Amino acid sequence: MSRKSQQARDVTRREFVHASAAAAAALALPGARTPVRRADTLRIGLVGCGGRGTGAAKDCLTSSERVELVAIGDLFPDRVAECRTNLARMATEDSSGGLKTKIKVDDAHAFSGFDAYQKVIGSQLDVVLLATPPAFRARHLAAAIEAGKHVFMEKPVAVDPVGVRSVIASADRAAQKGLAIVAGTQRRHDAGYRAAMQRIHDGAIGDIVSAQVYWNQGGLWMKPRQPQWSDVEWQIRNWLYFTWLSGDHIVEQHIHNIDVANWALGAHPVKAVGVGGRQWRTDPAYGHIYDHFAIDFEYPNGAHVLSMCRQIDGTASHVAERIVGTRGTSDAHSVIEGAAPWSWDAQTPRTNPYVQEHADLIASIRASKPLNEGRQVAETTLSAIMGREAAYTGKEITWDELLNAQQDLVPADVQFGPMPVAPVAMPGQTALARSWRSA
Amino acid sequence: MLMAAKISLLLLAQNAPYRDSIPGTLVRFEMMPVPGDPPLWIGKTEVTWDEYDVWAFRLDLTPRERSSGVDATARPSRPYGAPDRGFGHHGYPALAMTYFAAQSYCAWLSAKTGKKYRLPSDAEWTRAARLGLGADSVLTPERRDALAWHAGNARAKAHPAAAKAADALGLHDMLGNVAEWVTGTDSGGPPVVRGGSWNDPPARVGPTVRARQTPDWNETDPQFPKSRWWLADAPFVGFRIVREP
Repeated sequence: MSRKSQQARDVTRREFVHASAAAAAALALPGARTPVRRADTLRIGLVGCGGRGTGAAKDCLTSSERVELVAIGDLFPDRVAECRTNLARMATEDSSGGLKTKIKVDDAHAFSGFDAYQKVIGSQLDVVLLATPPAFRARHLAAAIEAGKHVFMEKPVAVDPVGVRSVIASADRAAQKGLAIVAGTQRRHDAGYRAAMQRIHDGAIGDIVSAQVYWNQGGLWMKPRQPQWSDVEWQIRNWLYFTWLSGDHIVEQHIHNIDVANWALGAHPVKAVGVGGRQWRTDPAYGHIYDHFAIDFEYPNGAHVLSMCRQIDGTASHVAERIVGTRGTSDAHSVIEGAAPWSWDAQTPRTNPYVQEHADLIASIRASKPLNEGRQVAETTLSAIMGREAAYTGKEITWDELLNAQQDLVPADVQFGPMPVAPVAMPGQTALARSWRSA
Repeated sequence: MLMAAKISLLLLAQNAPYRDSIPGTLVRFEMMPVPGDPPLWIGKTEVTWDEYDVWAFRLDLTPRERSSGVDATARPSRPYGAPDRGFGHHGYPALAMTYFAAQSYCAWLSAKTGKKYRLPSDAEWTRAARLGLGADSVLTPERRDALAWHAGNARAKAHPAAAKAADALGLHDMLGNVAEWVTGTDSGGPPVVRGGSWNDPPARVGPTVRARQTPDWNETDPQFPKSRWWLADAPFVGFRIVREP
């Protein structure tokens, strides 16, 4: 390590000590350290302390009684400190007072560094919430299942076929061990989607012949590079924009809509052809990912699904799914038109799906009927990767060749330091078999 | 001298509508006078995405300024999803913003134009709405349909600004379409939205209708802290601006 980056790290550490002292003071709330633990209380740990991870912790604590957050971890000390401040704020803002007694993270159980996840998992947990950038998910999941923990994990769950194969293996192991895995594809836990999908599966729109799925929107956040950041730190802090970290936006974001197509068809695609490119978001500050894709997926029954996603400012936004059958169509959550029309009654309360997914997880653990969404979300992740690779390579990509592909984008041992930015994928030239080793 | 001339021109023009633009863009908006004390102007329409995007998405900055993060003013976070809900964008009212965001927009617009733009007070909004309906006017169902998008005619979406008829002051969509942020009532209290929206039944669309923000307006923002700029579950909230002389 260079002297300069050592100094930078020392500064960061000092700032962290300062910030965590403030956070600790803020956390000293009445009831926050009650030592009583009922035998059936589930101990929760969080890996990945960003806005979504902290939000997932809140959703989990809100979802169920007798759950408590006891450990948190993140690569970056500043994010850990920020999370502790936000947990204190969460407890203060909660008018019911219920969260205050459920947040029990002390100084000794707030971890940072590349091994923070191991320390969280080692904190006598029952359930671990995995919410880091997707690159690390497969390894974190494997470690959690190995240690016998139930898991909630954010989507996507991998960025490459190697990661997908690992998640499938972990899901199988979880099934053997009686462990639950729930994924952050929250539409699967949304009452409207579930009601519409039940009807679709019961034949309300006949046989599904095609679908269209969209996630078109503007650009997302970016953190300007700071001089003290190494290549790797800059990339991880801007993880959206690097394929090895996020999977590209078709995988990171559009996965939700592709998951709905897989759900409706009860299958994953068998092949894909697609186009995509990096036309507008070309500044190096945005890494090397594309800003638009359009993919034609073919399913086992011959149905074709058009998938379209875009992150370009000033363009028409559209986030939706449309399922087309021989006897009708559906938006997959609120309306069915055709031979058996139906619409969701707007007066029916619709629980927040981000909370419901945790309620379902906890209830399944307590009933000893653990949900295991591991394979399902791994297959949806691979479906999205299939779309990406169809566009990146310009080739027709089949499921079998992708599932078995030697594509390995995440370095075996990620550490802070230099890392060149891989070139923007070029259709006709980029190969499906790619490895971080040859970058 | 020049300043004095400007002020007298301004006073002369107080009773006249005028058109303004956001400097450095082709985006224009119209302001209509509201008689009474104090005199003021109010937006002819709800603030549209065309106007709001310039601020929210930094369209007044060069791409280089945008990626270097030099901009000193606070701007909304990038929404993860489509804030316009796919209702439509060009010419449609901006929606789903927090009160804080609506206020911040006004502060930015004022700095940008050198004029004093802000959100209406509750009383100012009421004055404009009542004058717009006319002194002896009753809001019959027919009149409501002619003026306002509500749950009975909007087909579950917001509609382009000024698609419904203008009221007596020349204002569009005061009632319905998106409910409009105003500062709290004169007796204090939190900010409220006025007029009702495309999401409200006809009886909840009118010049006396007020609603306070409730937790379900932002329940499904999956982040913590939740956004201070966007309301994940309130695609029925927007605003219009006023200007003091």
